Amino acid sequence: MALADFLRQLDELSRTATVTFAAVQDEASWEAARVEFAGAKQGRLKALQKLLGQVDPAERPAAGKRFNEVKAELDGAMAAAQARLQAPAGGRRAAPRPEFDPTLPGRRMRLGRLHPITQSIEELKEIMGRLGFSVADGPEIEDEWHNFEALNIPLEHPARDPLDNFYLSAAGASHGPLLLRSQTSTVQIRVMEQTAPPVRIISLGRVYRPDTADATHYPMFHQMEGLLVDQQVTMADLKSVLRLFATSYLGSDVHIRFRPSFFPFTEPSVEADFNWNDQWIEFGGAGMVDPHVLRAVGYDPEVVTGFAFGLGVERLCMRRHNITDIRDLYRNDVRFLHLF
Amino acid sequence: MIVSWNWLRDYVDLDMEPAELTRRLAMAGLNHEATTAIGDDLAIDLEVTSNRPDCLGHVGVAREIAVLWRVPLRVPDPTYPQAGSPVSDLVQVSITCPSLCYRYTARVVRGVRIGPSPAWLANRLRTLGLSVINNVVDISNYVMMECGQPLHVFDLHRLAGQKIIVREALPGEQFAAIDHRAYPLEPGMCVIADAERPVALGGVMGGVDSEVSSGTTDLLIEAAEFAPLSIRTTARKLGLHSPSSYRFERGVDSLGVDWASRRCCQLIARLAGGQCAPGVVEAGTPQATRPIITLRLSQLPRVLGIDIPPEEVEFILTALGADAVALHAGRVHLTPPSWRRDWTREIDLIEEVARIHGYDKIPEDVGVPMAPSHRTHADRVLEKVRLAMTASGFDEAMTASVVPRPWCSAFSPWSEAEPLRADVPMLKGADSLRKSLVPSLLEARRINESVANDPIELFETARIYLPQPAGLPYEQWTLAATGGGDFHALKGIVETLLDVLRIAPPLAVAASTQPLLDCVTQTRLELAGRCLGYLGQVSGEALRQFGLRNPTSVLELNLELLCELANLAPQQRPLSEYPAIARDMNLIVDESVRWAQLASSIRTAAGPLLETLEFREVYRDPRKDGDGKKRLLFSCTLRSSDRTLTNEEADAVRDRIVQACGQQHQAVLLS
Repeated sequence: MALADFLRQLDELSRTATVTFAAVQDEASWEAARVEFAGAKQGRLKALQKLLGQVDPAERPAAGKRFNEVKAELDGAMAAAQARLQAPAGGRRAAPRPEFDPTLPGRRMRLGRLHPITQSIEELKEIMGRLGFSVADGPEIEDEWHNFEALNIPLEHPARDPLDNFYLSAAGASHGPLLLRSQTSTVQIRVMEQTAPPVRIISLGRVYRPDTADATHYPMFHQMEGLLVDQQVTMADLKSVLRLFATSYLGSDVHIRFRPSFFPFTEPSVEADFNWNDQWIEFGGAGMVDPHVLRAVGYDPEVVTGFAFGLGVERLCMRRHNITDIRDLYRNDVRFLHLF
Repeated sequence: MIVSWNWLRDYVDLDMEPAELTRRLAMAGLNHEATTAIGDDLAIDLEVTSNRPDCLGHVGVAREIAVLWRVPLRVPDPTYPQAGSPVSDLVQVSITCPSLCYRYTARVVRGVRIGPSPAWLANRLRTLGLSVINNVVDISNYVMMECGQPLHVFDLHRLAGQKIIVREALPGEQFAAIDHRAYPLEPGMCVIADAERPVALGGVMGGVDSEVSSGTTDLLIEAAEFAPLSIRTTARKLGLHSPSSYRFERGVDSLGVDWASRRCCQLIARLAGGQCAPGVVEAGTPQATRPIITLRLSQLPRVLGIDIPPEEVEFILTALGADAVALHAGRVHLTPPSWRRDWTREIDLIEEVARIHGYDKIPEDVGVPMAPSHRTHADRVLEKVRLAMTASGFDEAMTASVVPRPWCSAFSPWSEAEPLRADVPMLKGADSLRKSLVPSLLEARRINESVANDPIELFETARIYLPQPAGLPYEQWTLAATGGGDFHALKGIVETLLDVLRIAPPLAVAASTQPLLDCVTQTRLELAGRCLGYLGQVSGEALRQFGLRNPTSVLELNLELLCELANLAPQQRPLSEYPAIARDMNLIVDESVRWAQLASSIRTAAGPLLETLEFREVYRDPRKDGDGKKRLLFSCTLRSSDRTLTNEEADAVRDRIVQACGQQHQAVLLS
C-alpha cells in the first residue's frame, strides 16, 4: 500500500473523529462514537492499524509515526468530550491536581516607573497637543533680555533682585549677566523672535528661584507656559482654552474664574481658578500678552493680540497624587517612584 | 495690607456683609487672605499686588469699594490752623542726590505735648497690628496707613543747624538707628542729614539721635518721595524692612506727599496740641504733568472679547480718579490720577475697565479655532528612550541641576571647563551647574541604599551645562543610568536603546580614563566615529567618595546624538519564506581575542546566508584547554531568501567559519 494513501486515510479519520466528538451531547452518543472510532475490534483506528502492515517497509516508520499521532489526537478528543459531558453546566470541572497551585505568584517583569513629574508633563503635553499647541523648547540658562527685558520686567522691578534669582558668576561677558531662568516665559520670547504669527505653543521645563526647600517650596520646579498669538485672539479665547484644558485634565465639566492679578508680561493679568468639587482651585497665572512684549519681538500689537498662561507642574502633580512634601519628588526613593 | 473695617467706614459706607466685601474685592484685584475680629473691629488682610501701591492705605481700598458699589468716597480735607513764623524761617532743606530722592517736604509744629494717643486712634493701629508708641509717632503711622504715604517726624531741636540735607551716604559712614544699632552705610543709600551727621536713613529708618521722645516739643515733619530701587536695595542690604520701605519700594503718590504732610499737621494740632508753622519748605521737583491717555472703545472687544457700554467705561474710569474724562467719537481721553502710576497706556485702561466691569462677564465657551500641533522629533525619541528604560527595569529619577562643586570634578567627561557657578547656592553647598548627571544619580543611589532599597536601578534624562568660550553655555540633553548589574548589564541597555531607535551605525568602544570609573571596565562608546558616551563600573574609591556600599555600574549618553541618528520611520524589507537552520559553535581562542574580532571573521566567512549571530557564553576550563584560553560559544542562524537550506549547506557554512577563525585567530572548534 502506498504511503500517501495510508496518510490520507489517517487524516480523514482524524478529521471526522474531531468533528464527531466535538458534537456529542450525551453519554450514549459518546459511547457510540468511541465504538466507531476506537472500538477494539471493529473500530476505524483498528482497521487502519491492520493496514499499516501493508505499507512498504521502507516507508513504514513514517507511517507508524503519523499513526501514533492520530491515535493520540483521537484519545485527546475522546477525553475532552468526556470531560465536557461530566463538567457541571456552564463550566468545565477542574481536574484535581494538588501539585498545581494557581495561587502561587506569577513570574513578573520588573518594570521601571516614570517619575510622577514626567507623567504629569506628558499628560499636559498630550492635552495641549490635542488643543493645537505644539511643544517649544528653550535654554534653561538665559540672558537678561529673554528672562526680563523682553518680558517687560525693567531693571527696577523687584523680580530682578539678585537675591531672588540664580545669577551665574563670571558668565556671559558678551551677553551681559546670565542666570538660571526664573520662568518658562523666556521660551515665548525666543519662539516669537524667530517665528511670524500665528504662534500656538506650550513650553515645559525646569525653572529656578532661590526658595528655601520646605514641604511646599523647592528652588527648582517645573512650569508649563502656553502662548497663542494671532489676529483676533481675545480673553474669551483664553478663558475657553483654559476651560477645555481643565475639563480634559479633570475629566468633567469645569468652570473657569479670573481674578485680577499682576504680571509684567501680560496686561490684563489674571489668576485663573477652576471649579472642582464645588471648590475654587488655583490654576495659575494668565493674561493677554502685553503690547510691550509683542513689540519687543517685532510683532505689531495693532495687528495681533495674544494670550499666555503658566502653571506649576509640581502643584498639579502633588494634588493629583496627594503628595504633601515637594522634596519627596527629588529624593528619588525607589519605593516612592513605584507608587506612581 | 491689613485694613480695619471701622476705619474704612470713615471714607465709604459699608452696607454689605464683610464676606461679601472681601469676595468682591478679591474679584476686583485685592485677594482676601484672612479676616480677624479684634475688639469691636475686623482686621481684613488683603493681598496687594506690586503694581497697586495706591491700595496700601485705607483711602485707596475705600476708593475701590466706592467704585464697585457705586457709592460716594469721602476723603478728609487736610486743612489746619497755621500761626507764627513760617516754616521757611525755621528750617532749610536741600537735596544733593536727586536720583535717590525726588522730592522732600518739611513742615513744623511747635509746642506739642507728647502723650498717649486717644483710644480710637490707638485701637485702629492695634487692629492693623502696629505698636502704639506716643501720639505724634502714632499719628505719623496713622496717616501712612490712611493714604499710603510714609512720614517721618524729627525732634526739631535735635537737628543740628535746623538743616535737612538729603544726600548719598559716604563710604564707610555709620548710622545709629532707632533700634540702637549701628548700620554701615555705603554709596547708593540715601541719607537724611542735619548740618553735622546722618539723622535718618531716607525712607527706611529714623535715627536714634533725632527721634521724638517724651520731652520733645517742636517737630519737623518729613514727607518725601524716595527712589524705589534705592530703597529696596538699602532695606535689603541692611535687613531693614518696614511698612515705610515697603511703600517707597512700590512707589508713592507724588501729589499725595503734600496731602499726607498736611493731614499729619492737622491731626497733631488736633491731638497733641501745638502750633503749626505756616507754609512748607520743599526741595526737589514735583512730578511732571501726566500725559493724556486715549482709550479706543473698539479695543475693548478686541482684547476682552466682550462689549462694555461706553457710559460704563466712562463711569469706571472717572470713579477710579481719572481727570478730565472725555468721551468723543468712540474714544475716551483722560488724565490718569497721580496715585495710579500703573496707568500709562491704553491697555492699562482696558484692564481697569475689565476688572471693575467683572471678568465673570467674559464667556468661557467661545469657539477657539482648531490648529494642527506637531510633536517634536526630540519628544518622540525621548518617549521611546523612556519606554525602553522602564521596560528594562529602570526607574526614572529627577535630580537637581545644581550640585556641590566636588561632584563636578568627580566625573566630567564632556567638558574640561570649570563649571558655571550660581552666586546663591541652590541647596546647601550646591552652587555648581552640573556637567554630568552621574554624580546626582550616585547620590540618589546612596539615599536608596540608606533605606535598604533593592534593586536600585535609576535613570534620568536632563540637560547638563557645558561652559562655552562665549555666549550661552551648551545645554546637552543627556541620559544617565546607575544599576546594580555589571558592565555588560548596562551595555545591554545601550544596545537595547540603539535597537529601539533603529540606529544604523554599529556601537564601537574605545579606551577611557575617567577617575570615577574602575580602570578595567571603563569604556568610551562611539557611534559613527562620534562620542556617544561613557560606561563602566564605579571604582572602589568613588564608591567610598559617594558613600556607597554596593557595587554599581554607570552609564552616560549624549541624547542629542541618539536623536540625530534615530530612525523613527524604519522601512519594511522582504522576509524570506523559507525556514532557518541553526548551527551552534564553541571555539577555543586565546584570551586576547576579542569577540568583536571573532564576530567580524564569522560574518565575513558565513556570507549572505548568515541571518543572525548570537553570542551565548564565554567559558574557561584551564585544565582542558590550558592557561590563557577561553571558549566562546555562539549560535548562527542561517537562512536563504530563495530555498530551504539543507543540512549539508549549513555544515558547509559552519566549516567555513571554523576555518576562517582558525586561520585568523588560531581558534579551535570544540567538538
